[in-house]
Amino acid sequence: MDLHNLNPSSLKSRFTTRFLRALTEINARKPIASSSSPREIFQRYRRIKDAADTSMAYSVRSRRTWSKATLWRLRTPSHRRRLASFGRRSSLNKTRTTTTASHRGAVVVQITSRGGGLGVQLEELRELVPGGEAMDLCNLLDETAHYIKCLTTQVQVMRTIANLYSLE
Amino acid sequence: MLHRLESLESCNYNGMEARLKWQQQNYVVQNNNLVELCAGSLPQFQGLIGSNLGGAQMIELKRPEVFLGSVDFQEFVNFPVVGPEFGDSEKLDLVPPEAATNYCIFRTSSCQMSALNTSVMKEEREDLILEKMESATGIGRESFNKRKAEAVADHKSKDKRIKGEGESEVKANCSTEISRNSSKKSSKASEVLKPDYIHVRARRGQATDSHSLAERARREKLSKKMKCLQDLVPGCNKITSKAGMLDEIINYVQSLQRQVEFLSMKIAALNSSVETLPMKEFPAYVANFPAAAKLPETADLPYFQLNPLQNQSVNCMLNESMLPPQTGAEGIASPSVSSSSSMTQLQPFSTWNTDPQGLSNMYNMGFH
Repeated sequence: MDLHNLNPSSLKSRFTTRFLRALTEINARKPIASSSSPREIFQRYRRIKDAADTSMAYSVRSRRTWSKATLWRLRTPSHRRRLASFGRRSSLNKTRTTTTASHRGAVVVQITSRGGGLGVQLEELRELVPGGEAMDLCNLLDETAHYIKCLTTQVQVMRTIANLYSLE
Repeated sequence: MLHRLESLESCNYNGMEARLKWQQQNYVVQNNNLVELCAGSLPQFQGLIGSNLGGAQMIELKRPEVFLGSVDFQEFVNFPVVGPEFGDSEKLDLVPPEAATNYCIFRTSSCQMSALNTSVMKEEREDLILEKMESATGIGRESFNKRKAEAVADHKSKDKRIKGEGESEVKANCSTEISRNSSKKSSKASEVLKPDYIHVRARRGQATDSHSLAERARREKLSKKMKCLQDLVPGCNKITSKAGMLDEIINYVQSLQRQVEFLSMKIAALNSSVETLPMKEFPAYVANFPAAAKLPETADLPYFQLNPLQNQSVNCMLNESMLPPQTGAEGIASPSVSSSSSMTQLQPFSTWNTDPQGLSNMYNMGFH
């Protein structure tokens, strides 16, 4: 295996180093006993998943809307998040109706009214991609492409780690 | 004037000799009009279309510029950039060599043309370039109408007919060229050195008002992005509809997110026997691991082989993901509630096998 082709500034390496650091931190905080209850494992799983998402979003450095949204989601406690999302949703509905006059808004309205299937799928996509609620189709597709790329990197690295762990 | 033609000939184009000879014959009778000179060079550039110049074209065409010594020759330079990219466009059949003399193709130095030059040089799409050539003919049409009296003597009857055909084609473009001079951005022209006008051309048979232009530009942007997404999502080569593509994208994103969840669960469960690994080597190891590069081809859930304890944890996690998102405390409470029913729910999960691809590769690697 060639260890010299690693680009130190690539997304993969940034994510890997961060995630491994987080993993060792989690291990240090709560060392695994051989007999862990499902509850503990579940807790652990939550922490690891959050660590993975955070380290991925950090590697992207909030250049992207989805990374900003992920970091915000993981940092803000849930009650504050509910309040904020409530306010955001109401303002979003307002913007969606008031921008019908402008051309850009007309585009959004056009999409949702053009075909029922397309509108439903767009809503689904908006839900999937973090931070996708407030974006028009053009930017949403960009975000989706970048998000898919980062997700595949994340899955690759995590799978390797899991395999390495399972071997030892 | 003839020496200018000779200079044009000196450019090394294949299969040009016949056309150039014809051109020379026609030119003896022409008056000393730059416009008609330009018009006469149209067959030359038409021949360009057939020839395969590649990158050397720009260099060779600068020679005529030197000879002519005129700013207007910008427009000559413009054409060869345009020419080879036409390929076998049939629209040029409407401008056969016989009618070349009757078209003033190059309007002398308007700033519109210079913007056209620079924007053309950045263009790649065949359609827009074709349209710009037509715009050149359209701009020339204005001056041509003024100079019609002069050129009447050279009209042949069939030229008039051909011109009529071309006219109907370029008339719409001409009027739209004029109307669009104030305005609309081409989505494709990235930098324009003289940002007077950025031309977007309407294709033949398409609406030319500003709204539909902008709409078309937006649609082209969207389709370009959909193509990028098609490259990212595996197995989307055959799907052509937008709705199908969106479905695939949604499925793929969902499967990726679920894979992340499962993998983190696996790490959480498998972490039991791990001591601290050497941090320096590990990232390189992990990032370079080639087996990790293979994602499962299907968009289904990844397959795991877990011992019963881990199955329980997986069960908890699935319950958690199905329920609305809860706080940590609530999430922990639910596993205990469901643990009694966990054994019954384990039945579907036990059919999962190991991921044959990843694990077998990993065993074959034999890393130390």
